[in-house]
Amino acid sequence: MMRELLTRVRFLIFRKKRNEFDEELRFHLEQSIAVKVAEGMPAAEARRRALIEFGGVEAAREECVRQGPGWWFGSVVLDFRYAVRGILAHRWFSAAIIATLALGIGLNTMVFTLVNAVLYKPVPVPGGDRLVCIDNHTLGHPDGTGPISYPDFQDYRAQASSFESFEAVNDDSGILSESGNPPHRYHVARTSAGIFAMVHTNALLGRAFLPTDDHAGAEPVLVLSYDVWQERYAGMANVIGRSVHVDGAAATIVGVMPKGFRFPSGVDVWMPLTPTADLAKRDNRQVHGYAIMKPGVTMRAANAELDGIAGRLAQQFPADKDLGVSVRTFQQRFNGGNIRIAFLMMLAAVGFVLLIACADVANMMLSRTLSRQRQMSIRTALGATRWRLIRQLLIESVTLSTLGGVLGMGLAEAGIRWFDLSTKTIRPTWIEFTMDYTVFGYFAALCIVSGLLFGLAPALRASRPDLAGVLKEGAHSVGKRRGGWLSAGLVVCQFALTLVLLTGAGTFVRALLNTLMINPFVPATHLTIAALQLPQSRYKDADARQHFFDQLLTRLRALPGVSQAAIASDGPGLGANREQIEMEYAPIVNPAQRPWVAFGAQSPGYLDTIHLPLLEGRAFNETDGTPHREAAIVTRDAATRLWPGQNPIGKRFRLYDDKNKATEWITVVGISGDIVQEVQENDPRPMLFVPYRQEGWDRMAVVVESATDPLPAMRSTVQSLDPELPLNDTYLLKDALDHQTWFLRVFGRIFLGFGLIAMLMASVGIYAVIAHATNGRTQEIGVRLALGATMRNIMLLVMRRGLWQIGAGIALGLCAAGPVAHIMASLPFGFARSEALIFLGVALCLASVGVFACWLPARRAAGLDPVKAIRYE
Amino acid sequence: MPTSSDLLQGTLDLLVLQTLSLEPMHGWGVAQRIQQLSKDALQIGQGSLYPALYRLEYKGWIKAEWGNSENNRRAKFYRLTAAGRKQLESELATWDRLSTAIGLVLGRTAGAPR
Repeated sequence: MMRELLTRVRFLIFRKKRNEFDEELRFHLEQSIAVKVAEGMPAAEARRRALIEFGGVEAAREECVRQGPGWWFGSVVLDFRYAVRGILAHRWFSAAIIATLALGIGLNTMVFTLVNAVLYKPVPVPGGDRLVCIDNHTLGHPDGTGPISYPDFQDYRAQASSFESFEAVNDDSGILSESGNPPHRYHVARTSAGIFAMVHTNALLGRAFLPTDDHAGAEPVLVLSYDVWQERYAGMANVIGRSVHVDGAAATIVGVMPKGFRFPSGVDVWMPLTPTADLAKRDNRQVHGYAIMKPGVTMRAANAELDGIAGRLAQQFPADKDLGVSVRTFQQRFNGGNIRIAFLMMLAAVGFVLLIACADVANMMLSRTLSRQRQMSIRTALGATRWRLIRQLLIESVTLSTLGGVLGMGLAEAGIRWFDLSTKTIRPTWIEFTMDYTVFGYFAALCIVSGLLFGLAPALRASRPDLAGVLKEGAHSVGKRRGGWLSAGLVVCQFALTLVLLTGAGTFVRALLNTLMINPFVPATHLTIAALQLPQSRYKDADARQHFFDQLLTRLRALPGVSQAAIASDGPGLGANREQIEMEYAPIVNPAQRPWVAFGAQSPGYLDTIHLPLLEGRAFNETDGTPHREAAIVTRDAATRLWPGQNPIGKRFRLYDDKNKATEWITVVGISGDIVQEVQENDPRPMLFVPYRQEGWDRMAVVVESATDPLPAMRSTVQSLDPELPLNDTYLLKDALDHQTWFLRVFGRIFLGFGLIAMLMASVGIYAVIAHATNGRTQEIGVRLALGATMRNIMLLVMRRGLWQIGAGIALGLCAAGPVAHIMASLPFGFARSEALIFLGVALCLASVGVFACWLPARRAAGLDPVKAIRYE
Repeated sequence: MPTSSDLLQGTLDLLVLQTLSLEPMHGWGVAQRIQQLSKDALQIGQGSLYPALYRLEYKGWIKAEWGNSENNRRAKFYRLTAAGRKQLESELATWDRLSTAIGLVLGRTAGAPR
């Protein structure tokens, strides 16, 4: 067996010489002739008989060649060389095809890279392909996952055998403070001690956790992320051993992690998860599990094992009743839901673009096969099999698509860079937008499949030439009718797909414009917002908090440059709370039927700060919100929705919280202008405002209107009142609003790009088809012109087919775009319901571009000189 | 008179190997020898002899070398390799088994025992 293989390889490398067979044959015939002559036959007759006895010399020669290993390879190489020659010979034609494919394949590779990174690629840590997230869910509700309790985690870890390591993380936030540095709130992960060892990452400076760090009574330590080290401690090496306070409790900095390490996701500071009485309760579910599976263990098996353990625990402990376990990848845990939908939508969109590109190229190839009929016929007449012709044409198209793909790879690389930069601020560090072997595999498959896709129809057509017809006549009159149907169908599909893409892009752009136009009265560039969270330990009740905010606002208003200052639960356009409402004299017994409203708390002066006009009644005063003086201001929209046809001022209502507990009766004191608080909400609720005093929440946003940057002064003002209190999430309102719409902006731009590229391709496609068809009819047009056809007749003649195709394509596209727009409207990105305006605008735009593309060849045809046209060959 | 196409599939290879096991030979010689030995019953179609030789050579069972013929003419001689000898033995064994079995089915005594 082995020997045979080696022999074959030897012959593959040292090929037999062609004349070897000839010499052998000559010898054979000479012998044969000699025998016959010896028997007394005349020499000429002997030679004739010898040849007859031997049979077909060429056939035998070919048969001999076919015995050799890899004999087909030579013909493939020939086909390939022929393809390259063809590509070079039709330079512009090939360039157009390659450019189209480069766009199609490039976009697909780019988007697949993104999708791969966001949804599938293993996290870039050692063993990342086996890294899983472990959470609990209530049995029967596998979608609603939540954290695990610490004792359950310990039992899972002790009993499960599927994992190499299994660690717990409690995502928390904490205020880091020390003398000489302003306090700041960070994302603090309290983890079991093995978390760094699990992902094989060592500290850059100092040490990571020791196995004893999470034992009860261990010295409290913390490890900093690289960014915190750089920003807060200016990258000084002497932070190791420094004593700081986290939420007022002392702890020692023992290490700094390497740059970019934020495991599991976006962590600033790591502290050991030390057991407390609170943590030991089985119904206190606080930690998320992270584990590395042993090699060869599937997620399904690991999940089954943990489910078994959870089942046993459920029998043992009442708190664990009905608990199931979810084992998920990082991507499934962090990038589910909308993110997943958005990226899959993008993949679908570029899939459309590639289909359009392939249809385009198929059309170009089809038009070329018409002019190649003669060549194919000759080859068939010389004995080429149909398979052989198809193979040659497919090799040609795959060569083209590979060239396009290589060019597209460059485009993809650039696109990925751009996307990387656009999303730098909001994406988790563990998502790396780089290509890996999966992407290359996809890319290679794409090149080959698209080559086959656009090459197959033309190849099948070209390989079945009407032999006699083509050889007899000129090529231009043959195959027109059948080719026409195929390419017409392709053009119709192109326009339909483009319309769907453009409607999608239109929906994005429309949503973006809508969000950019909301709340025009708010001076977003002059409003600075910062969040304050008053800790329960120092601000025990609502009065203490009210007192603090009163003092703070007085001082802030006195700052130079500050024109207004107020507090609110959320800045304008940055969200709202929701509760159920009940009107006085209209009781609703069934809690499920009470309508929901959106509401926010604010201090007096907030409406002036955000320049929201008061239309009727009065603004809040300092006594509103004290007992028996509960008050509210409603927007005009809320007034008409909640009290249709009535004046709401003086009317009373009450709100129900999530525990179905009613507030006191609240009296409406004023009506404000309309404001959009919930920007990306498909179903905005009526908006109400209540005085801060009425709620007494401990987390509020400070809103300051100032011509200059008030942040340093704001910070020192807060410090002067409470040195331990950090000012968090500080930003200009405009930046915050931009941040909210980044999704629409980035993806809107992407979809618009896809749509425009598709439109360009479709137009080029229809142009090429019409131009080619017109070219073939030059003589006919010349005759028509000579017989007195007007320019208008000729233009109509040429354009009629194109117009028909565009119309059919757009009609088909509108049918498909309806459901697509409907799906998009159901996504929580603030898309408007499918709007006729978008449909109409997009269809009109596409139609005019398409008509223009038809008009160009038509005008040229109408401008032909009849004398020259008739002679045109 | 049966031509090579009437021969059982693979029988041509067996005949060629058997013929070459006696001595190295050129293509013409192989054709002649098979014709003689079969008393003119088997006439190898010369068009299919050479593909068979090439096939056997590619499989490494025979080896071709240029040499001089009886009348001092340059000719290509084929000779059995060690692998070819082994192959011939196993094919002969298969042939014996097969022909005995067919003979039994047809109710005739098997041909001359080897």
